[in-house]
Amino acid sequence: MEHFIETIGRNMFAIFGVMALGGAAVVVASRSAVHSVLAFLFAMLCIAGCFLALEAEFLGMAQILVYAGGIVVLFLFVVMLVEVTKAKEKEVFQLQSRYAIGAVLLGVAAFSAVFRKVIFGAASPQALKLPENLAQGLNVAQQNAQAVSRGLFAGYLLPFEILSVVLLVALVGAVVLAKTERV
Amino acid sequence: MPTPTLLQSIAITLIQCVLVVLFVFVVVPLTVFAERKVLGHIQQRLGSTRVASGHIGVTGWMNRGMWKWGRIPVLSYWRGIPGLLADVLKLILKEDIIPAKADKFVFFIAPALSMVSAVVVFAAISFVPGTFFVFPSWFPGLAGLPVSGGIADINVGLLWILGVASVGVYGIVLAGWASNSKYPLLGGLRSAAQMVSYEVPLAISLLAPVVLTGSLNFGEMAQRMATGTSAWGLVPQVFGFLIYLTCGFAETNRLPFDMPEAENELVAGFHTEYSGMKFGFFYLAEYINMTVVSALAAGFFLGGSWLLPFGLQGLVNKLLPAGAWIAGPHAIFFVAKIIFLLFTYIWVRGTIPRYRYDQVMSVAWKYLIPLALVNLLLAAFVRCAV
Repeated sequence: MEHFIETIGRNMFAIFGVMALGGAAVVVASRSAVHSVLAFLFAMLCIAGCFLALEAEFLGMAQILVYAGGIVVLFLFVVMLVEVTKAKEKEVFQLQSRYAIGAVLLGVAAFSAVFRKVIFGAASPQALKLPENLAQGLNVAQQNAQAVSRGLFAGYLLPFEILSVVLLVALVGAVVLAKTERV
Repeated sequence: MPTPTLLQSIAITLIQCVLVVLFVFVVVPLTVFAERKVLGHIQQRLGSTRVASGHIGVTGWMNRGMWKWGRIPVLSYWRGIPGLLADVLKLILKEDIIPAKADKFVFFIAPALSMVSAVVVFAAISFVPGTFFVFPSWFPGLAGLPVSGGIADINVGLLWILGVASVGVYGIVLAGWASNSKYPLLGGLRSAAQMVSYEVPLAISLLAPVVLTGSLNFGEMAQRMATGTSAWGLVPQVFGFLIYLTCGFAETNRLPFDMPEAENELVAGFHTEYSGMKFGFFYLAEYINMTVVSALAAGFFLGGSWLLPFGLQGLVNKLLPAGAWIAGPHAIFFVAKIIFLLFTYIWVRGTIPRYRYDQVMSVAWKYLIPLALVNLLLAAFVRCAV
């Protein structure tokens, strides 16, 4: 019994990962857009589980908070408003599933190209470490959020700020697009 | 004290879960009863005094019994309480209708999502710091093991609470969509906009305690907020509390912000098509959410399991003799604060009329978010300067 539970505990990452993949498959395969969004929510929660299994609590919670709690709600909001009833519209929605397989294959190829050392190499994957001077007086395993914040705001401040500018550009772009459509 | 093995710690966690569920299922029906009574008194009537139906059958028997017992002065106030039992029986026994054009799977899963996200939040809430009780030596298998005051001691507990609570919006939105009917859809859309909007000031108002304490762990935050803040910390705490409570009312869809179900506009909003225990789950989830919001307000602003709110305990403790009973944490204080806040919910409901929908949104975006940001700035200033 105890052995069984421990085995499950050790393989949490794999379990959540398989569940997330299943959710993602349903996103593509489902015929109803709302079901797709629900499956997407499930996949997002499972990815949060993956983060938790890797002891990255902060990332896991941020995943739930941002994706499950915010972004997917907006998806759902839009999908509910755009009700797909006519057969022709349905076909347009279904079109994407033909390209989805190609996209998945491409994604897998890109992923394995980037992480081929981790996957096929002899070296075991190593946790990303904070530079010594930043990690001072901090128990990284215990104080996840603090470690992430030190990394973001002290170690990698410039890339972080540039990223936020990119997001801002996207926001402004969305506003501009929506406005021209209405006029 | 012995350290528990894996199986023992799982058993302890299960027992904690059962205790929390028991707590919830004791508090929720009593809140429903208190709501009837308090609203009654606010409107100058008695509130519920009998079980709804007549003189025969089980309810008639309960009615007669309660009126007999009610001759004893104190008990007369509780005459309406069998009505709760009748209510629960009604919810369980009522026919469970699924509309012909409803999306059956989503219709089924929506109440479950609501309920689960409401209950799971309790995992991160600690009722008392440290050990709650120790199993007596006669207890089979778990003798002498300590049970802590919270189910899980999560480092990022606040994020867990906010994240899981934000999943609760799906229950309402999906219920509105799956019913395939006008009023529920309108209610669902309204609630999606409302809950997403109010999550922002709610989260920012909770950032003030995070800044003041420098932690995200519920137990640690409660302790430092209650005993570790300076006198200047009072200001952001009081403001933060008021902002948080306003947002909490909106997040739980309670009056004056009950847009998703506004009776005289939308019939019953998102749960118009629901009946039986599925409706019961929404009903339960609403009250559990109220308890959760109250527990967070109690923990972060009202001093948690210490007696005095807003960090006053830390200032008073210097004057008290060391080890005094009222200087320490007790679960009873925490529960008392939760109950007081639940009363506040009912009090506000009986006092303030419902806002118009556009007013609800402008309150969130034009007033609460700027106020919450100013409060966060104040908290940061207090943390740095004092």
